[in-house]
Amino acid sequence: MQLIFSVFKTLTDQTVTVELKNDLSITGVLKSVDQFLNIRLDNIKVSDENRHPHMMAVKNCFIRGSVVRYVQLPAEHVDTQLLEDATRRGVFCIRGSPSGC
Amino acid sequence: MDDFPPQPTEQSPPPPPPNQTGSPTDFLKNVVGKKVIVRLLSGVDYRGILSCLDGYMNIALEQTEEHVNGVVTNKYGDAFIRGNNVLYISAAEPL
Amino acid sequence: MEPAVASGIQEPFDLIRLSLSERVFVKLRGDRELSGILHAYDGHMNLILSDVEETVMIVDTESNQTINYAKRKWEMLFVRGDGVILVSPPSRS
Repeated sequence: MQLIFSVFKTLTDQTVTVELKNDLSITGVLKSVDQFLNIRLDNIKVSDENRHPHMMAVKNCFIRGSVVRYVQLPAEHVDTQLLEDATRRGVFCIRGSPSGC
Repeated sequence: MDDFPPQPTEQSPPPPPPNQTGSPTDFLKNVVGKKVIVRLLSGVDYRGILSCLDGYMNIALEQTEEHVNGVVTNKYGDAFIRGNNVLYISAAEPL
Repeated sequence: MEPAVASGIQEPFDLIRLSLSERVFVKLRGDRELSGILHAYDGHMNLILSDVEETVMIVDTESNQTINYAKRKWEMLFVRGDGVILVSPPSRS
């Protein structure tokens, strides 16, 4: 169950866009993630500020994993071959993750 | 204090007829490989051949048809259904 | 375990494992469908897909008829497993 957690850890300090189940989309720098896939974002920007004006003053946030629908990932920082191999082998952590293996 | 409650007597319990009654697990074992109808909580039905299933009721179906309000809305060669969406699995042919 | 029917899969997740690096169809809660290339998944059905297209069915609640489709695309997408209803691999012939 740790595979996806490891993927997110390797994406620390990259810019991602998190889309929530209430349709709110937040772009920011991924600062940290935990085993529940809770996410901390810095320098955030809400995609549709007109619809969510109360979010304009918010600079960083903690997102509970369970409210996430999608996370758009920076494709250039995702090694798809490595992911497929790790998934096939049922390996639950991947090289380059801070936890090591 | 020598009045013990009557012990349940070892009368021969009726042996369950094979393949018919039995536990939910027995039902599921018998229905693997058969045509089934999987109804989801949303009311959508999937009709297909049950390849296998696991303890979460995740289901693999073959030759699957998606039925919404009795109308075929999609066909899939194979389909994986996430178990939390499942309301029931029903046999669509005699066991 | 029962021998699986004509396909050699023993548990539902085998179906998904055989679809790695293939284009899959994913049906999600909220009248959403995705098509994308599957690169990773886990036991919750969290997914990582690339070259993803999402179709949202916009349903008219009065007539219960699908009146419109909204499409979006992403290069690389994580999909949280709790929204997944169905995953269909490419047909194996």
